[in-house]
Amino acid sequence: MSDGRTISGATGGAADGDVGATGAAGSGATGGAADGEPLFDLPGELAIDTDVARQAIAAFIRGQLKQAGFERAVLGLSGGIDSALVAYLVAEAIGAEGLLCVMMPYRTSSPASRGDAEAVIADLGCAAELVEITGMVDGYFGRDGVAGEGGPAALEAAPLRRGNFMARMRMAVLYDRSVSWRGLVVGTGNKTESLIGYTTLFGDAACAFNPIGDLYKSQVRQLAAAIGVPEAIIRKAPSADLWPGQTDETEAGFSYPELDRLLFWRIDKRRSTEELVAKGFTPELVERVDRMIAGSEFKRQVPPIAKLGPRTAGVDYLYPRRRPGSAARS
Amino acid sequence: MQPLRIALAQIAPRLGDLEVNLARHHELLAEARDAGAGLVVFPELGLTGYLLSDLASEVAMRLDDPRLAQLAAATRGLSAVVSFVEESADHRLFIAAVLLEDGELRYVHRKIHLPTYGMFDERRFFAPGDMIRAAPSRLGVGVGLAVCEDFWHLSTPQLLALDGAQILVNVSSSPGRDLAMSNEVGLGTATSWRTLMRAYAQLTTSFVVFCNRVGVDESLSFWGGSEVIGPTGALVFGAPMFEEGLFTVDVDLADVRRERITLPLLRDERPELVAREWRRLIAERAGLAADGSAEPGAAAGFDVAVDR
Repeated sequence: MSDGRTISGATGGAADGDVGATGAAGSGATGGAADGEPLFDLPGELAIDTDVARQAIAAFIRGQLKQAGFERAVLGLSGGIDSALVAYLVAEAIGAEGLLCVMMPYRTSSPASRGDAEAVIADLGCAAELVEITGMVDGYFGRDGVAGEGGPAALEAAPLRRGNFMARMRMAVLYDRSVSWRGLVVGTGNKTESLIGYTTLFGDAACAFNPIGDLYKSQVRQLAAAIGVPEAIIRKAPSADLWPGQTDETEAGFSYPELDRLLFWRIDKRRSTEELVAKGFTPELVERVDRMIAGSEFKRQVPPIAKLGPRTAGVDYLYPRRRPGSAARS
Repeated sequence: MQPLRIALAQIAPRLGDLEVNLARHHELLAEARDAGAGLVVFPELGLTGYLLSDLASEVAMRLDDPRLAQLAAATRGLSAVVSFVEESADHRLFIAAVLLEDGELRYVHRKIHLPTYGMFDERRFFAPGDMIRAAPSRLGVGVGLAVCEDFWHLSTPQLLALDGAQILVNVSSSPGRDLAMSNEVGLGTATSWRTLMRAYAQLTTSFVVFCNRVGVDESLSFWGGSEVIGPTGALVFGAPMFEEGLFTVDVDLADVRRERITLPLLRDERPELVAREWRRLIAERAGLAADGSAEPGAAAGFDVAVDR
């Protein structure tokens, strides 16, 4: 990836999320392959067997739905690669007829993303809906100097605050459509953004289950290419689309392939800082990413409940989410 | 000798739903019988599902449970290995695999190694078994039962084979993980298991029968890939990964004799030497004997010397 790549952006929200934890854009690292020739840059140690991944993920999606007593699924389709990939994976697992894709643009969202989302819908032949969130968001923050329900101060809200609110409005829409469509909300966040906290708590991170949450962005690209996600979606720079021209990588100051490699060696392969530096990562980058991981630990866990009674959910009352009697009755 | 037809019931148990899983076992036992199978193997916790947590006590069965007797009754003229949560009279819970034959419960193996690390939390909910024995069988050879993690310890297959097992049966609920392309068949778990089982079959010159479940419990997707490996260590049959089904394969038990004559590894084992060395290690770990490999100056039972 190079910083000079064409920016088209995604509608963010349910799919690509927004910035929950950014530091000052420190220099960090240089990008990987720069010439734009390959469809994506895939570090060798991250390469997965995409056939096995598709088998495992299809079984996972079918299993999650079956145990919950559902036959359908709903997701927010942004036009970005993550939600596009999940749409293809769900269609492969249960058939496109069981999938509802909801496009939820805000008035400033990139029109190109809308076009990319529509290309996915047309290719899959799944159900689709367009729900503009502009009224919901502007109704709170206000618009053109006129205060909304959030009061006059909300008119001055920073992009990050607005972006988080947008992600939560999209979540609210998806959970409502979950009822009308009678389908479970499928998560579309990847492992990279989850580990560095580039997600909105109870926003894009909210879902019934997530089939790609253990795949790094580079692996998402590899799987997307294998399953037939349109090339334009794979090629474009990932973006939360909170403001025109924003991209994940320019904002964070490092490329996904490099970040993915660092996370893989740090988290999955338990390498120490010294060992990572010996692999060529700068100490500054390692330290910065460590801070992002630690600082977002709370986003990856359910909130703690004060332990007061004899048996407490998540502490010493430990049941599987799905068990006899838990499935929805049709 | 007539070939033995082995049926691998690579099923996706419903988590916590004993009745549904019992019905599925009856169905597949009948199907395997119709297919001419002599040995039918179901996966670890096939009657209950794997990730039970607090459900474990709610689906537990005592060995005198009538539902188990009904399942045994369905094995006339057959051998079957089934697995469930067993509750002892003193109310410990075990992950059990039992050999059912000719209408009776013939042998009970309680899982001896309970993984409690990484993604596993078995010791929190279960008690470990204390016996490794080969079970006599209507098949005319000893059968060695083991459950999943039991096979991640070298002593298990060795003890079973030395005790007379010629068919080592491992029933598993192995969650698939590590999708790296560098792995054989694209799945780290499958690569590790295949390596282990081939080695065990070769080293014990026995058949290894591996039945792993499919389906999903919570985050975990079980990968299937059940196998039968011959006493030379060569694959006889491999079921597909992630696919539910009843898979049958014929084996010639005379292969065991041929291999053991050719390669008398078991004959040449030295159990008395192994036992002696184990006793020494146990005494050293307990601080009851001097530890020759400890750092000089280390206190008894510790392998590190503390400088003061």
